[in-house]
Amino acid sequence: MTRVLLTALIHRALLLGGAWLALTSAALEALAPGAVAVAVAVWLSLRLLPPKHPFALWRLARHVPRFVAGSVVGGVDVARRAFSPDMRLNPGWLELPSDLPDGARVALGGELSLMPGTLSAGTEDGKLLVHLLDTDAGFDRAIPREAEEIAAIIGQARSARG
Amino acid sequence: MADLATYLLTGLGLVFFIAGTVGLVRFPDQFSRLHALTKGDNLGLGFIALGVAFQAESWAQLAMLALIWVLALLAAGTVAQLVARAALTEQDKP
Repeated sequence: MTRVLLTALIHRALLLGGAWLALTSAALEALAPGAVAVAVAVWLSLRLLPPKHPFALWRLARHVPRFVAGSVVGGVDVARRAFSPDMRLNPGWLELPSDLPDGARVALGGELSLMPGTLSAGTEDGKLLVHLLDTDAGFDRAIPREAEEIAAIIGQARSARG
Repeated sequence: MADLATYLLTGLGLVFFIAGTVGLVRFPDQFSRLHALTKGDNLGLGFIALGVAFQAESWAQLAMLALIWVLALLAAGTVAQLVARAALTEQDKP
């Protein structure tokens, strides 16, 4: 068993096992069915989404405060615009070359969609399509940093440019 | 004290849900509308989950609230991209 597969197995077993414990309040009589359910779920998850890259959980954990802060700023920003009389919108598109692998690109796109002023519409010809709510507000300045942190989580330092 | 925190935080959460809906109605194009809906609801649900967490009686309830927020924001990030993608191809068609 490779190292990548082993870490994926451990992470997913912990994640799904944790979810089972939370859902059942760790009731004793739920432990045995839980063991079976978690084992099957981990197996299914490895079948449906085979791990291809190393995964640094601590880097993901370190990324959480930044994500939460971005969520707050992003939510407050759209709320302010939605309630203001003129909304001050200046929407536009940005094409972003990205050499992140597919799954990481989807993760980056999903994250950007929750961060202030950016929204991903998938990729075209290896370029991430990003919609900006206000092209004058400099929302795009945060993108390289997000891409870098996601690349670092899957063990690809400096793989994302642009 | 816990009740007060619940009132304040869930109230704040509702404000962001309303903001997301107002943006959905007022913003000029479907992509801008998606911004409002995705980000407004993400933050709104976060505040509501945080507010309700003050009423939790066990760690399992806290974990469930956290799970709800995480699953909803994973879905929000993914669905936002899918809807934007669908809108884009539709727009590109002559």
